[in-house]
Amino acid sequence: MISVESLHKEFGRRVALDEVSFTVPKGEIFGFVGPNGAGKTTTIRILATLSSADAGDATVAGIPVAEDPGEVRNLIGYMPDFFGVYDRLTSTEYLEFYAACHGVARRKRPAVARELLELVDLSDRRDVQVDTLSRGMKQRLGLARALVHDPAVLLLDEPASGLDPRARIEMKELIRELRRMGKTILISSHILPELEELCTWVGFIDNGRMAAAGPMAEVRDAVVSGRRLRVELADAGEEEMARAEVILREHEGVLDVERLPDHLEVTVGPQVVDDDLLALLVERKLRVRSFAVIPGDLSEVFMRLTKDQMN
Amino acid sequence: MGLWQRWVDGLDNPIVVKEGVSRMRTWRAPVVATLYLGLIGAVGYAWLNIGEAANQFAAGRPVAAIVGQDAFAAMAFFQLALVCLFAPALAAGAISGERERQTLDVLLVSRVSAFGIVWGKLVASMAYILLLILTALPLFSAVFLFGGIDFQQFVLSQVLTISTAVCLGAIALFFSALFQRSLAATVSSYAAAFVLMVGTAVVSFLVSLTQTFGRISTSAAPLQTAAEWYFNPFFALATVLFPTSVVHTTLRGFLQLLFFGVPASGVVAVGGPGVDPWEVCVFVEALIAVASVAGAVALVRGRRAVRPGRTPERIEPVQPAEAQ
Repeated sequence: MISVESLHKEFGRRVALDEVSFTVPKGEIFGFVGPNGAGKTTTIRILATLSSADAGDATVAGIPVAEDPGEVRNLIGYMPDFFGVYDRLTSTEYLEFYAACHGVARRKRPAVARELLELVDLSDRRDVQVDTLSRGMKQRLGLARALVHDPAVLLLDEPASGLDPRARIEMKELIRELRRMGKTILISSHILPELEELCTWVGFIDNGRMAAAGPMAEVRDAVVSGRRLRVELADAGEEEMARAEVILREHEGVLDVERLPDHLEVTVGPQVVDDDLLALLVERKLRVRSFAVIPGDLSEVFMRLTKDQMN
Repeated sequence: MGLWQRWVDGLDNPIVVKEGVSRMRTWRAPVVATLYLGLIGAVGYAWLNIGEAANQFAAGRPVAAIVGQDAFAAMAFFQLALVCLFAPALAAGAISGERERQTLDVLLVSRVSAFGIVWGKLVASMAYILLLILTALPLFSAVFLFGGIDFQQFVLSQVLTISTAVCLGAIALFFSALFQRSLAATVSSYAAAFVLMVGTAVVSFLVSLTQTFGRISTSAAPLQTAAEWYFNPFFALATVLFPTSVVHTTLRGFLQLLFFGVPASGVVAVGGPGVDPWEVCVFVEALIAVASVAGAVALVRGRRAVRPGRTPERIEPVQPAEAQ
């Protein structure tokens, strides 16, 4: 749905984007990860037809952004990292105004505004002036604004920045709901744990260069060698823990075992079958209380990727 | 986008509606209108009294037509001066304000064209000025009772006021698109208004002085006015309200004045269609307005950065991206 190929952009002598390439399939949530100034916003602005690349191609639904920006604008909903609202307009008027700007027929605008306010849970604020809304409400209204013309693709630049925990959770739920509605979503952020829960695809950018991009699991496996398992023993003393560590280390495919106060963290290679490892522990009379895969840590992936690049 | 589509866009422009709604919801809108009407009314009333007193003293009784003409002229000049103050202020923040408020990018990602944005902002700003001018019409009409002003003069004075407002508004809009900050746009807009109102007068005066110096006593021809005067709305208004002072010339004569100055004979070329200063003034103001709007549209369009038909040059990748 979104394709970026060899995108290059310079601001003066500074290279903002250097051969940036990635794709986002239809219906996926793509987490665009990178530190501040890495090139996330520049890439999103090019996709949003607000900036042009010096070289390379960017397409949305197969339409080249540089060749047919008007058609691309019909397909995308854009939410910038910072955006203001107009004074002295109610939430309904605000959405109706942008619906008009996107060419929504006059008779349909009230219904569009009403439905979107319901979607972002701001129905009770429909007659409240937008400049009096809280930051979280404004962000949700901003997301509703990006949806007024029912775009297939959403470009969300740091949608959760500056939000309190509750507002972040609400925003996350909203984005999940939008995926269920069939939208393809590109979301940039440097809050990795949130992206990890939300995204199905991920792309890492640092200093204007793509470090990795693809399906979340694939990227994680490619970067972090081995999966990690958490093994907890019931009423385990020092001796039991030591015995378990030895058993695990001896097992083929186990790369590392770290003993922590109340559990063991085991790094295993791809050839290890979790069930076999659990059966082995039980067989050796170790009372296993819990045995679970530790979700991959996006932060670790990011740190490794950027470290490699810096080296 | 075709010209027709742009015209239709201009008529059904959401920006005009939005700006109108939010402007009229402020306390400033009625206060400014009240002040505007109050000041023009006060000037008219004062002039009426002064004129009446002066005429009573001079002729023993008021001469209604003279009093009416003077009062109308005072109000018209004052209204023009107010419009010169208001128009830049209303339009100078139109686009730079969007940028400062961080709402411009969102607007640029919509389907509204660059022309639609600029046109909407201009119409929205000028609609308020037009509202002020309309609300002042009854005041001007009251002076009609005294006579001294005919309907054509009345209409032309309003046309000049509106065209000056549109011209200054368009200039302000151009600066608003040019500068990041509203303050810079406002200062530049007032500087441009100053050049148009005072600069042309000063230049005209100096040109008149240098070109006609020494010729008055040697030539029987009437003293010619410098062409630059014709660009000045206050001068044009004066020639409309006081026809005796009209420097009516021909198009050829005007062009001769503009490009070659007063000829040695002191007599400008005759023949061809005649032109009045107000016609030249409105024409020049319209030209400036069109150029300013075109400039503002180009600047706003540039903010979108990608233009139809422009494909970025493709460079061969040095190495494939990792982990695709």
